[in-house]
Amino acid sequence: MTQFERGQLQRIRLHVLPTKRFKTFAISLFAGLTLDEATVTPVALIPFVLRRGTANLPETIAFREKLDDLYGAGFGFDVYKRGDSQIVQFRMDVINDEFVSSNTSLLAESLHFLGDVVTDPLLNNKAFFQKYVDAEKTTLRKRLEAIVNDKIRYAAERCLEEMCADEPYRLHPLGKLADIEAITPASLFENYEQWLENAALDLYVVGDTSLEEVTRLVTEAFQIKEGSPSSYTVPDVRHAVQEVKKVTERMEISQGKLNMGLRTNVGYDDDAYPAALMYNGILGGYPHSKLFLNVREKESLAYYAASRLDGHKGLCTIQSGIEFANYERAVTIIEEQLESMRQGQLSELELNQTKAMITNHLRELQDSAYEMIAYDFNSVLTGKERSAQQLLEQVQAVTAEDIVNVAKGVQLDTIYFLRDRKEA
Amino acid sequence: METLSYPNVQETLYREVLDNGLEVIVLPKEGFNKTYATFSTKYGSVDNRFSVGDQEPTKVPDGIAHFLEHKMFEEPTGDIFATFASQGASANAFTSFDRTVYLFSATEQINTNLETLINFVQNPYFTDANVEKEKGIIEQEINMYRDNPDWRVYFGLIDALYHEHPVHIDIAGTVESIWQIDKETLYRCYETFYHPSNMILFVVGGVKAEEVFQLVRDNQNSKSFEPQGPIERFFDKEPDTVKIKRKVTELSVSLPKCMLGFKEKKVGLTGDDLLRQEITTKLMLESLIGSSSKLYQELYEKDLISDSFGHEYNSSTGYAFSVIGGDTPNPDELIKQIQSAVEAVIEHGIEPAAFERAKRKKIGGYLRMLNSPEAIAGEFTRYRFRDSNMFDVLDYYEKCTLDEINERLREHFDFGQLAVSIVEQPSK
Repeated sequence: MTQFERGQLQRIRLHVLPTKRFKTFAISLFAGLTLDEATVTPVALIPFVLRRGTANLPETIAFREKLDDLYGAGFGFDVYKRGDSQIVQFRMDVINDEFVSSNTSLLAESLHFLGDVVTDPLLNNKAFFQKYVDAEKTTLRKRLEAIVNDKIRYAAERCLEEMCADEPYRLHPLGKLADIEAITPASLFENYEQWLENAALDLYVVGDTSLEEVTRLVTEAFQIKEGSPSSYTVPDVRHAVQEVKKVTERMEISQGKLNMGLRTNVGYDDDAYPAALMYNGILGGYPHSKLFLNVREKESLAYYAASRLDGHKGLCTIQSGIEFANYERAVTIIEEQLESMRQGQLSELELNQTKAMITNHLRELQDSAYEMIAYDFNSVLTGKERSAQQLLEQVQAVTAEDIVNVAKGVQLDTIYFLRDRKEA
Repeated sequence: METLSYPNVQETLYREVLDNGLEVIVLPKEGFNKTYATFSTKYGSVDNRFSVGDQEPTKVPDGIAHFLEHKMFEEPTGDIFATFASQGASANAFTSFDRTVYLFSATEQINTNLETLINFVQNPYFTDANVEKEKGIIEQEINMYRDNPDWRVYFGLIDALYHEHPVHIDIAGTVESIWQIDKETLYRCYETFYHPSNMILFVVGGVKAEEVFQLVRDNQNSKSFEPQGPIERFFDKEPDTVKIKRKVTELSVSLPKCMLGFKEKKVGLTGDDLLRQEITTKLMLESLIGSSSKLYQELYEKDLISDSFGHEYNSSTGYAFSVIGGDTPNPDELIKQIQSAVEAVIEHGIEPAAFERAKRKKIGGYLRMLNSPEAIAGEFTRYRFRDSNMFDVLDYYEKCTLDEINERLREHFDFGQLAVSIVEQPSK
C-alpha cells in the first residue's frame, strides 16, 4: 500500500499521495475547531459565504464558470462533527491534464482556486459582502430546517442529540437556527479570521504529482499567516450510563424510526478499537449480522436494521424502520442481541465472516482517493498512527474473548422512537 | 474473445458472447485491489406484460421484478449474503425500471465469488413459506419510501406524466400488489427473464480477462439451458399528453419540493439515436439551467431555489422525460419564472460560451466517472441493454454542436407537455 508524503507550510499540514492510478487529482482541505456553542453557527456559515465569490472572482456566476472551464472540476464542502470537533471540509477533484487538450496545469489552477476561496475571499472593508452573507444565512437556515425532511436521518440525529445532551456533541455541525439572525458581515469576518488563525488545517492531494510540486503550488496559492499547525483534542470517550433514557417523538409519518444509542467506551486510539470494529460488525454492520438476521430475516419486522460505530466519540448507534405497533418487540429483540454479545454467543462463522468483510473494506478503500484521504485523516484527528494494513492485521488477530470484553463495556444509553401522531 | 480499445480514455475492454447467449465483458483495471462484478438481467419494473415464442401474454402484479430480486438471495442452503461474507465479498442488488442487477465487490477469492454470483442468480429457490415471509419485509421497504419526500416528489412526477406506460408504477409495487405475488408467478418471470441470452455479466477491477472468461465458460458449460425465443414485451398505447398537470402530495416538509417534468411526444428511438438524443438533451439542460447558468443564479438570488436544485433526463425506447426542480418556498412562482426564462432562451438561443462550458463540464464528469468501477459497470450495462456503447459517450459530447442543442431546446420545451409534482406540508 502506498504512503502519504508529509510536509508543512506555516499553519497547514500537507499530505500528498503520488499515484498514477486515477484519472483525476483529488484535493481535500480539512479545517477543524473544537465544537463550541458560541462559534458553531458562524463557523458553519463561513464556507457557504466563501463559495459565493473570491477577490479575484467576485461574481458567483464567474466563480461557477471557472469551475466548468476547468473541465467541470468538482468543488464542494461539507460541515460535520468528529469527536468533539467541528470540521469544515473543502473538496475538489479535477481531471488529469493528459486526458484533455489543456494548456494550463489543471492541478495548479485548482489549488489556486481553492487557495483563493479559503484565504482570499471577497471583502468589503473588513467585512464580507452583505448580499452574499444575507443569502447564505437564508441557505443555512433552510438547511437546518430541512433536517426534518429525511426522517431516517432526523431520527438518527435526534437520538444523538438526546444522548449527548450535556456534551458539546449535542450541537448540530450546521449550528443553531436561533443564532443565525445576529450574524453580520463584520462579525462573520471576525469569526473567519479567528477560524483561520486557530483551526487545525490539513491539505490532502492524491494523484499524479509530488510533495515538492504541491508545496510549491500551495505556497503560491494560499495566503496563510505565519505560525505552526494546530492539533485536535481527543475527547475522553469513557462514559458511565446511570439510566437508559427513553424518548418518543411524534410526527406525520408512515413508518416508525427506532434508534438506539450505545456507549462503547472504546475510542479510535484505543488498543481495543479493532475488537470494537468486530463487535459492531457482528452486531449490525452487515447483512450477515445479528440485527439483520433477527430483526429482518427471522421476524420480518423491518427492511433495514443495522448498527454503526463511531470511534471518534465512542458510540455505536442502531437504526431500524418498523411498524409503530412493533416497538416493544423490536426493542426486546435488539436488547437480546446485545445480551448475547455480552454472553459471548459468537460463532466461529460470525467471526470469520466479519473479519473477511472488514478486511475487504480496508483493502477496497485503497481504490478510492477520497476514502484513502478519509482513512488517513483519522490519524490526524486522534494522533494514533495506524495504517489500513496494520488495522487489517489487528482485526485478523481479534479473538472472541476480545469482543466479549468490548461487549461488557458497551452500555445502552438512549432509546429514541419517532412515530405517528395517533395515540394508541 | 474480442478486444475493444479506447485509447482516448486509456481503457481496454474484452467481450464474448457464450454459446448459451450470455454476454460477458471484462475491463481490467491495473493497480486496483478491488474487483466489482455485476450480473444483470434486462428485466425491470416496466416489464409487466410479456410472452416468449407463441405463449399467451402474461400480466404480472406490480413490484414483482423487485420481489424476485429479494427472493434470489435465498438458497436451499440459507442466505447467500452469509456465503459472500465468508468469502470477504460485499454483495447487493437493485431493481430499476428496465433492469435488475446483482453485484459484489471483493479484494480476494475473486474466482470463488464470481462462481457464487453466477450460481445463486442461476438457481431460484422459492417456496410458499419464504415468499410469504418476504412480504412483511418489502412492506416495510415500501413504507420507508413513503416517508421520503425526495422519492415521493420524483415518483409523483412520473405518475403525473404517464397514463399507461408502467414506468409510472412504483418499482417496489404497492402493499396491496405484493400480497398477490406467489411462487408460481415468480418462477414464470424468472424463467422468462433470467435466461442467459437476456443477461450480461460485467467484471471490472484487478482481474485478468482470459482467466475470467475461462471460469465463466466452464461454469456455463456445466449447466444446460433450453434455447429461448425472443421475449416480447407489451405496452398499451401511451397518449402524448401528460396524465395530471399538477400533482400535490402531502408530507411533513420544511419547504415545498417541486419538480417540473417535460414529456417527450416522440419516442421509439433505439441504439445510437437514443444515445445521441440523451447526450444532446443533457448538454442542453446543463447549458440552460446548470449551476453556472444565468437562470440558476437568478433563481437563487430570488430565493426561489437552493443547492438542492437540479435537472436530469431519463429516456428509453418507450418513454422519455426531463426533470427539473428542488426545494422552493414558492412552487408557482418558480414554475412561472422557469417558463418565462425558457421562452426567452428559445427565442434567442443558448449562448455559445454557456454551451462550451457545459460541454467541458460534461466531459470532465464523464472522465471522473471512469475512476469508479461501480459507475463503469452500471453505466456500461445500462447503455448495452439499449444497444449503445458507453465508450461512445465522450465522442458524442465532443461532436455535439450548438445548433443541435438549440434545436433540441425548441423541440423539448413544449409547455403543453409539462407536468408538475409538488410535495408540501399538509394543510391544517
